[in-house]
Amino acid sequence: MSSIKPLAVLAIAGVLGLQGCASQRSEEALDQASTAFQSVKDDSNVLRSAPRDVIRAGESLAKAERLASYWGTGSDVRHYAYLSQRYSQIAREHSNLVLNQERQAKLELERQRLQLALREAKLASVQQQGKWLEEQIVSLATNDTDRGLVMTLGDVLFDTGEAELKSSASRTVLKLVQFLQLNPKRVVRIEGYTDSTGNPDDNLKLSRDRAQSVADMLVDLGVDEKRIKVIGYGDQYPVEANASERGRAQNRRVEIVFSDEKGRLGAER
Amino acid sequence: MRLSEQALEQAKAVGATDDVAELKLAEEKLERARSNMLSESFRDARMRAEQSELDARLAEAKVLTLKSQEQLTLLQSRVDRLRKQLGEQR
Repeated sequence: MSSIKPLAVLAIAGVLGLQGCASQRSEEALDQASTAFQSVKDDSNVLRSAPRDVIRAGESLAKAERLASYWGTGSDVRHYAYLSQRYSQIAREHSNLVLNQERQAKLELERQRLQLALREAKLASVQQQGKWLEEQIVSLATNDTDRGLVMTLGDVLFDTGEAELKSSASRTVLKLVQFLQLNPKRVVRIEGYTDSTGNPDDNLKLSRDRAQSVADMLVDLGVDEKRIKVIGYGDQYPVEANASERGRAQNRRVEIVFSDEKGRLGAER
Repeated sequence: MRLSEQALEQAKAVGATDDVAELKLAEEKLERARSNMLSESFRDARMRAEQSELDARLAEAKVLTLKSQEQLTLLQSRVDRLRKQLGEQR
């Protein structure tokens, strides 16, 4: 940098002392070149990133100044003023480039930091969501001492005699899917039951079909088939007496038995 | 003359086109320098070639700065988006 200062002083001295002899056009060219040079030689960023171009701008300007003291050198004066101005502009561009690159490096670090923070935040939110879902599922299920966690889908999800799941089941089934996705090791057994109306063979088939249609929906929504067992118990294991309509309604159901977190499922009945 | 040609090639190599005013100037001046040579106006040829070289170098520098500016803008928008997402997350 120390090599630039004397040049600059020389250049300024030139501007002050010798301008008188130049023609109007040459004077304008000199003014422009000198202004451009002033702005780069006083800019520490430019000096740092393009010292050689700044020096050349100063040299060319000094040459133009010197020539301006003679008559009949107008085109040379303008030529060196032009070169000087170009060197100053090139120096300025180089400096802008370096500044941009430095900003870019800083931003890149900032970006990495933010990405990390975002990943952590998302992870925390997924964990929170998982916990929330788990609570939801647990609130929908009961803990049976022999069988583990059991969730009952009541007969409101099926029309009488029908195995097809009604659309009102979607919300519960969707929760189930999310829960299984967040707990990839858990497996389920889907058990179908009917009331005691009709003959036992038909009921066995109906109970199996109902359980299967819940399983189908889970598979359709992305749960791996291998994680699902389906079984029909017909009218066995009623939860209420079949004597009343209310009792029968409670007995028409699908139960979902969850394994523990390691995938261990309680024994079948 | 050789230097001007090299500077022009380099400017084009980083992606400068005639849309960059300085590159167009550089090409025109190099053309004129060549015809000056043919008519043996060596002084004019030298000056045009010298100017052409610096025009081309400025064109190159401008293209590089512009590109880095675009990258910077892109990066800034990514950082802004990340900040926004983080804001929503909290």
